[in-house]
Amino acid sequence: MVAERVPVQTARSPLAGGPRRGRDRRRGEHGPLRRLGTVLVWLLAAFNIVVLLWMFLAALRDHTAIFRSPWGLDTFGQFGNFVKAWTDSNFGQAALNTVLLVVGASVVVVLLSAPASYVLAKSRSRMSGAMAVFFAMGIGIPVQVIIIPLFVMMQEVHLVNTLTGLFVLYVALSVPFTVFLLSGFFGSLPEELEEAAAIDGAGAIRTFVQIVLPLARNGLLTALILNLIGLWNETFIALVFIQDSAKQTLSLSLLGFLQTQQYSGADYGTLFAGVCILVLPMLALYLWLGRRIIEGMTVGAVK
Amino acid sequence: MSAPALRAARVEPRRQVVRAGSAFTPLGRRRRRLFWPFLLPALVTYLGFFIAPAAASMWISFHRWDGVGEMSPRGLDNYRTLLGDSAFLGAFVNTMIILVLVGASTFAMSFALTMVLRDMRGRRFVRAVLFFPYIVAPVVLSVLWGFLFRSPEGLFSAAWNALTGSPGPNWLGEHLFAVILVGLIWVNTGFYTTIIMAGVDRIPPDLYEDCALAGATAWQRFRHVTLPLSWEVVATAAVLWTISSLKIFEFIYAFGGTTNDMPTLEVWNSALFVYGSTFGGRVPQYQFGYASASAVVTLAAMTVLVVLLRRLMRREAVQF
Repeated sequence: MVAERVPVQTARSPLAGGPRRGRDRRRGEHGPLRRLGTVLVWLLAAFNIVVLLWMFLAALRDHTAIFRSPWGLDTFGQFGNFVKAWTDSNFGQAALNTVLLVVGASVVVVLLSAPASYVLAKSRSRMSGAMAVFFAMGIGIPVQVIIIPLFVMMQEVHLVNTLTGLFVLYVALSVPFTVFLLSGFFGSLPEELEEAAAIDGAGAIRTFVQIVLPLARNGLLTALILNLIGLWNETFIALVFIQDSAKQTLSLSLLGFLQTQQYSGADYGTLFAGVCILVLPMLALYLWLGRRIIEGMTVGAVK
Repeated sequence: MSAPALRAARVEPRRQVVRAGSAFTPLGRRRRRLFWPFLLPALVTYLGFFIAPAAASMWISFHRWDGVGEMSPRGLDNYRTLLGDSAFLGAFVNTMIILVLVGASTFAMSFALTMVLRDMRGRRFVRAVLFFPYIVAPVVLSVLWGFLFRSPEGLFSAAWNALTGSPGPNWLGEHLFAVILVGLIWVNTGFYTTIIMAGVDRIPPDLYEDCALAGATAWQRFRHVTLPLSWEVVATAAVLWTISSLKIFEFIYAFGGTTNDMPTLEVWNSALFVYGSTFGGRVPQYQFGYASASAVVTLAAMTVLVVLLRRLMRREAVQF
């Protein structure tokens, strides 16, 4: 777990203000190099915040004003940009598509992966070990390597250019990552409760549903959220498989919007309103569950 | 979602301590009976949507095929053509540049940030802010990043103008690939900083106190304490970066500006090459065989690199 750790407080170590400090100032915790570093780090963070804020502000400004003074505030308050993006550029339909698709696929992939992760994490045969490695290999296969056969496959069953097809692909292509993530969580669950349930005569499926799943709800929720984020931002598969504008997802609409701008004149206010529609839900989720998201995404690498 | 690293090899040993004869307890027996029924749905999906298509890609790569008509065998011709195709070679070189240059810069930045953040006020906040771009749609990041470099109204161009007094070059026109590279560093630094920080945080603080007593410089401290003790995490993160750098697509693609237009050839990576020679562009090429061959080459290169990386970065784990 990443963020759970108590920060290492070396600042309280003898380093700070020790007698040797003057001899080698670079080493000192408050030396000029360090101060410079701190300033740079804050500048970097400020940059991210400014870009984000600027995006929100630009989304509420007039197109010509954005270009006249990109860093000004005049014409602020054009809420019409959002209305225009939502209706004219099909973001409304796309938002609905995306929400249904992303929520549905995330739930289904977790339901599909949880039982498999459980047996992979808990049974100690050589087979399950090999299987866990086999699944993890899938994380390393970039989607562009398999996209052509997938396209042909989906064409065979007439699922190209349908949201159902996209749903199937989103579920299937999220399986390796979800299995990998969840088996880590299941592996860390204590055995005792399950043993007690077994001794009390609960069947294996009942034990899984009533004991294991509730115990693992943290992991399941993390898997759900990470899939939500990943699929919400997904563009490549949608780009290949969806052609009708009525079936577009949000990221496709944004690309499509860039295109209409080339023909009917740029409107950056509305463009950034569209960008906000894509970013705001993620920002809200991040503000709400940021620590869980960060931990979930990095847990595989650190622990 | 590429985040958790390919720690595959380590999944197994981490599993619970094996109790003697656990397979023969009632619980163990039940679980054994559950093994296949529980595993099969996910396994079948995985085989059908990953393994079979990966194998099919290999097969298709030895043919000429537009996806509709008959496949005609070409043997190794697709691969031979690739070696002489400047578009592919350019895309491959770009992929490697992204892998090495962006990777090295991101890791250097991440270590520098970790060193500063380690005992800074507001470290959690700063880390969360730097991490955020990683969960924003790459298409969005691309639009924003592109706007920063627009001439003359972008932030960067404006800053350049203020500093040098000249309008500066046309960044998006003449230096698009450099702009993309820096953008990728920007997007990824927060994520890798978080990983490396987690590794560095596990180092006991008294080691740094020892360093202080011994009068070690910041560089010595980094070289002899921080780096060796977080090596395992760094090695895993390096493998993770190798894999995810190959998947980069949208961030570059959106610089083309539309759903139909590809960006200029100079900035293609191998993912864009596959898309560009099949479904992408105003006149899709549908060269399924040829594109498959390029994908196979990329995958092979990545496999070699991951194996090499693991070899090179394998060190005796330092106990602490």
